[in-house]
Amino acid sequence: MKNHSMKRVLRFGGAVAFLGFASTASAIDGPQIIKENCLLCHSETGKAEAPFTRISEQRKTPEGWQTTINRMKSQRGLKIKPEHERVLIKYLADNQGLAPAETAGLRYVLEREPNVIEQDVPEHVAGTCTGCHSSARSGLQRRTQDEWEKLIHFHMGQIPSIEFLAGHRDRPWFQIATSETSVKLGEGYPLVTKAWDDWKATPKASLKGDWVMSGHMPDKGDFTATVSVMNSQQKDDYVLLINGHYADGSKLSGSGSAKVFTGYEWRGAVVINGRKMRQVFAASADGTELSGRMFLKNDDVMGGKVTAMKAGKAETVVSVSPAYIKQGSSQTLVIGGANLSKKVSLGSGITVEKVISQSADRLVVQVKAAKDAAVGLRSLKVGSDSLENSVAVYDSVARVEVTPSESIARIGGNGGLIPKQKSIYRAVGYAAGADGKAGTEDDIRLGYMPANWSLKPFDAVAEEEHDLKYAGAIDAKGIFTPGDAGLNPERKMSTNNVGNLAVVGTVKEGDAAVAGEAHLLVTVQDFVKELIQ
Amino acid sequence: MNFKQIIRPAKRLGMVMTGLALLGTGLTTQAATEEYMLTVTRPNQLHVIDTKTDKVLRSCDVPGIFGNGGIATSPDGKIAYVMTNKWEDVYGFNIDNCKIVFSLKQSSSKEQVKSMISMSVSADGKELYTVQNPVKLHKDHFEALQPRLAVFNTADGMNAKPVRTFPVDRRITKLGFIEKTGEVILGGADIKAINPKNGETRTLAKLQNWDRSPEGWVPPDAFAMHSLGEHVGEYIMPYFTIKWNGAPGEMEKAEFLWGMTKVDTKTGEVTTGEVLPFEFIVFNWLTDPNNEDIVYGSFNQLSKHNVKEGKTLAVHPMEHTYYNINMLQDGSKIYIGGTSSDISIHDPKTLEKIGSIQLSGDMSTSDLRLAKVQR
Repeated sequence: MKNHSMKRVLRFGGAVAFLGFASTASAIDGPQIIKENCLLCHSETGKAEAPFTRISEQRKTPEGWQTTINRMKSQRGLKIKPEHERVLIKYLADNQGLAPAETAGLRYVLEREPNVIEQDVPEHVAGTCTGCHSSARSGLQRRTQDEWEKLIHFHMGQIPSIEFLAGHRDRPWFQIATSETSVKLGEGYPLVTKAWDDWKATPKASLKGDWVMSGHMPDKGDFTATVSVMNSQQKDDYVLLINGHYADGSKLSGSGSAKVFTGYEWRGAVVINGRKMRQVFAASADGTELSGRMFLKNDDVMGGKVTAMKAGKAETVVSVSPAYIKQGSSQTLVIGGANLSKKVSLGSGITVEKVISQSADRLVVQVKAAKDAAVGLRSLKVGSDSLENSVAVYDSVARVEVTPSESIARIGGNGGLIPKQKSIYRAVGYAAGADGKAGTEDDIRLGYMPANWSLKPFDAVAEEEHDLKYAGAIDAKGIFTPGDAGLNPERKMSTNNVGNLAVVGTVKEGDAAVAGEAHLLVTVQDFVKELIQ
Repeated sequence: MNFKQIIRPAKRLGMVMTGLALLGTGLTTQAATEEYMLTVTRPNQLHVIDTKTDKVLRSCDVPGIFGNGGIATSPDGKIAYVMTNKWEDVYGFNIDNCKIVFSLKQSSSKEQVKSMISMSVSADGKELYTVQNPVKLHKDHFEALQPRLAVFNTADGMNAKPVRTFPVDRRITKLGFIEKTGEVILGGADIKAINPKNGETRTLAKLQNWDRSPEGWVPPDAFAMHSLGEHVGEYIMPYFTIKWNGAPGEMEKAEFLWGMTKVDTKTGEVTTGEVLPFEFIVFNWLTDPNNEDIVYGSFNQLSKHNVKEGKTLAVHPMEHTYYNINMLQDGSKIYIGGTSSDISIHDPKTLEKIGSIQLSGDMSTSDLRLAKVQR
């Protein structure tokens, strides 16, 4: 109890200190920027709780506010200094943002994760909004009832063909959208919520300090790194240095900056080994964990999940790769974390044969599973810390799942403005489990396994149209690169290099092989790519 | 095959006879009639094509940004009204010399007004109709208003303003005009007719609000932008529906069907019902002037069907997608256009390609309209 209070006091102190810093650093604040730039159309209400028409009736993510301001610039004649735009987005995201609980489960769209099949799409959104948007796009906004209705009217003015589109015109779209959808959105996503009130009242932790990070890049593989996060000149601005290793031992190094919006929305811009990358992370409420996705700035499909934990002096285990050991075999494990000792334990039947290397961010060990080591998930202990159920001991690979199971790649390039959109695959191995049957509930997930990659036509039509020849190619790392954009005179009706393919991932299992398949639709460019799809 | 003819057989027979009588008239007047195909291409030009030589006679620059390429012609065929400027403005061209003789702007600083290709001309050529989809431009928000039929006097020339407006349904696409009743056909969720003198509206055919059980049928998806059947005097609104022969959603037993609502633009007679199994997407349909049971469709293929028998007679694969289709009054040539920059000409008997017209730009969603000019 005493400790808890102490922490609270410390955090309050930190936040207050930052606030003081901010007031001296910014020459102009958000409300003043709104007054100077937005009042040609928007009006002041005179109400302290909602001072500006429309603007004060909404809450959004940083990307949501950026999208609004982009539209105001391109469609409504807003001219705003870049530095004021940055201050304004920060102000709006901080003061009219979304609480962590309000973005949970929908972060994939902020993280630009490809090939997500959305779950639990509300019925009123599915019939009205998802023809063009992800369901997450409306789910990541909070508005008053009147504002949700105004959003429908905005669509009617901005996209006059909206009620004539296939999927909309077979019903009274406008009537449904105004009388049903906007009402339900208002009920489900209201402006005023307890989650937001609570989050506003929560002291925000500084993210300054040393972190241990682990993640995956499609072309480089798994990585571990230490990240030093230091304060920059403005409140919530940080600079960071990243040093670590890829799974093959090659070095990873980089640096960059990050800005934290809404107290937890980390947006980083880094250069790692010469490549510009973006980070979209969420910080935990206590400021000790970051999780999200890191991807190439100009090719956001090329990225992967990242987690980071604040490193103290204690041993901290963040990751282990690979996550499986075969009975009777030796396996090299790369363990990511901080202050890792050499005391590695995986329970009975697993012995550490040798420590291959040890550095600040990782420990590489060779372990061996006895022939009779019990099949199942083990916890990896390193000194005093452990990763629960993180390593599987298995007898044989019984089946392979290729992820994502449904996917899209898009043709591009070839002199056009829109680059190719790749698609990336990984093979997940499973052991059969106690019942000895693959595909049952007790299958044991072995994690990502190396695979040989190939393509085949998805169906008879794809075969007849020679999709395999034109739609693209997959490399040894499971990265599919689609064909060139534009008409192809070699094809029937000079069609684009689109195609309907199956991606086959084959994992070696002794002398045999186990294969899994995923569906890949190679389609045309996304001509309206938005910050929040 | 579910061929549902709502009119009684006797009436149908009458319609066939009327059709034959009209055809006879058509043949006699045709000697003195010149036929031109009209279309619009990007960046924004109206092209006048002589159907005797299948050459572009002249190309007229259309003011404003390309819209949807909608065209309505005056009854004497001499004036082409072109929708432009992102579906907002209309310009009337004398097709003999490209002179602009009429214009209207629908939007103002207070209202954004778009027309979804909805444009028609009265039988006497004195009135032009559009269906307007207005959005009120408030200081910091939009407000979608009730759509309306706007009536313009073509004699008002440049910057014409509506002389009358009447509220209409939402989601209206192509318009037609019934000579006998003087009504404007409103193609929307249901097919209706409005009297442009007083706004009185009646339903010609229920589609989305039809009286069929949802256990048996999926409400139709009816949508059409182009063909108006001016070669035979017929307005066609095609639709797609599913008949559940088992439980709703039981695809194995379901029938996928094309339906059509046809309005005789001379008499106002309406037929509606399912006519063909759905085998492939067709964007626009046309009736053969010499046999009302024969229809042609275009999209990725040119196809020929007998709607009385519910049969596909021939399919001719196309080199690319063509949204649009039209033909001459005597049924001698089919013109396929829209989408790209070439009009493909076909023999209605065999569907074989017999000619091609290369244009200076893409037609995109533009109309391919037949102008009949008596010389």
